[in-house]
Amino acid sequence: MSNWERLVWNQQGVLLQGLGVTVEVCLIAFAVAITGGLTLCLIRTYFPPLRFAAIVLIEFFRATPIFVQLVWIAYVWPELFGWPNSFFTAGWLALGLQSSGYLAETFRAGIEGVARGHREAGYSVGMSPLLVFQRIVMPQAVLTVSPSIVNQFTVIVKSSTLISVITVQDLMFQAMKLVNVWYEPIEILTVTAGIYIVMVFLVSTAGKMLADLLRRRYGLAAA
Amino acid sequence: MSDAFWQSVDLSTFWEYRQVLLAGLWFNVYVFACSATVALAVGLAAALLRVNRSWPFRWIGTVHVELFRNAPDYIMVVWVHFVLPLLLGALIGRRLEIHPFVSAVIALGFVYSGYFAETFRAGIQAIPVGHVEAARACGMADRLILRRIILPQVVRRMLPEAVNQFVSLFKATTIVSLIAVPDLMYQVSMVIATEMRPLPLYTGAALTYFAVIYFVATGVRLLSERWRNKIYA
Repeated sequence: MSNWERLVWNQQGVLLQGLGVTVEVCLIAFAVAITGGLTLCLIRTYFPPLRFAAIVLIEFFRATPIFVQLVWIAYVWPELFGWPNSFFTAGWLALGLQSSGYLAETFRAGIEGVARGHREAGYSVGMSPLLVFQRIVMPQAVLTVSPSIVNQFTVIVKSSTLISVITVQDLMFQAMKLVNVWYEPIEILTVTAGIYIVMVFLVSTAGKMLADLLRRRYGLAAA
Repeated sequence: MSDAFWQSVDLSTFWEYRQVLLAGLWFNVYVFACSATVALAVGLAAALLRVNRSWPFRWIGTVHVELFRNAPDYIMVVWVHFVLPLLLGALIGRRLEIHPFVSAVIALGFVYSGYFAETFRAGIQAIPVGHVEAARACGMADRLILRRIILPQVVRRMLPEAVNQFVSLFKATTIVSLIAVPDLMYQVSMVIATEMRPLPLYTGAALTYFAVIYFVATGVRLLSERWRNKIYA
C-alpha cells in the first residue's frame, strides 16, 4: 500500500487546501442562492411590474446546465458586464445563481403552502400585510422548506466539482493536477470521490434529520 | 461594453457552424438516451433490492443508492473514464481501453440509477398492501404481481418525479464534453479554438440548451399529466 502513502497521504496538504477552497466556494454560493432565491421569489409573488423578468430569470437558471452557465459566466460576463473579475468569483456566482432559481421555486411552494385561513385570520385581527407576511407566512414557510434548502446545498457541493474546469483550485482541481503529475489515477481519484461522497452524505443526512425533527415537533410535512 | 454586448448577441458565428453544433446536440441526446436506459434498468433493480424481504439484499440496495446519489456526477465520469479501465484491466490481465462515450454512459447511468431507485421505491411502497395481498390470494406468482399489479401503478405515480430526473440527466450530459465526447459543449469549445470568439458561441450554447430543455420539459410534463389524468379518471 505504499502507493496510497506516496500518492495520497503525502499529498494531503494540497488536497486539504483544495478541500478548503471547495468548502469556501460552496458556502458563499449557498448564501448567494438563499438571498437570490428569496429575492426572486418575493419579486415574483408580490411585485407584478417585474414578475415577468423574475420568471424568465428563474426559468433560465433552472433550465440551463450548470456547466454551460459556469463557462458562460466565467468567459462571457467579464466582457459583457465587466464582472466577475476572477474565476473564483465566477465559480460561486454561477453555483449560487443556478441554485437561486431552484430555491425561488421552493420558497414559492412554501409561501403558497401556508393555509389561506391563517393569512385571513391575521388580516381580521387588523395586522398589516407586511406584518402578516413577517409573523404568519414567513415562519411557517421557512420551516416547511428548510429540508429542501439543505438538499439544495448538496446540489451545490456536487456541482462545485465543475469549477475546477475554469481553473478554480478546489479539491477536484488539485486531484486532477496530481493525476496529471503522476499518471496514476486509481488512488487519488478514488480518495477524492470518497471525500465528496462522504461530504454530500453528511449534508443530506443532516437534511433528513432536520425534516424528521420538524415533522415530529411541528407536525409538518416536507415541502 | 456595448461593443461586447453586441458581439455576444450577434449569433451569426454560432449560426455559421450550425451543422457541427447540431451534430453535437444530437450526441447529447444520444448520451442521454443510453444513460437513461441504464439508469432505469439499474434503478429498478436497486429499488427491488431495497424492498426485498431479506436484509442482505436490502443492505446492498441501500449502499448502492447512498453511494450513487451522493456522488457528484463529474467525479464519477472522471473516475469511470480513468480508473475503471485500469482496475478491469488488472482483473483480466491486459490493457483495456474504454471509449469515452461508453464511460460517460456508464457513469451517468449509474449516478442517476441512485435517484431512480428512490423514485421507484417510493412508488412501490405507496401501493396499498391490499393490492398485493389480493393478487396473491388469486394465486398470482410474485413476478406476475410485479408485472401486472405493481409496475403499472408505480410508473404512473413516479412519472412527474421521473420527468424531473430525466431533465437533470439531460443537463448532466453536458459534462461529457470534459472527457472528449463530441457533444455540443465540446464542439463549441473546438469552434472557439479556431474562431477565437467565445462571446457569441458560449451565449449561443447557453440559449440553445435553455430553449431545448425548457420547451421539451414543459411539453413532456404536459403530456405526462394528460396521460395520468386520463388513466386515473
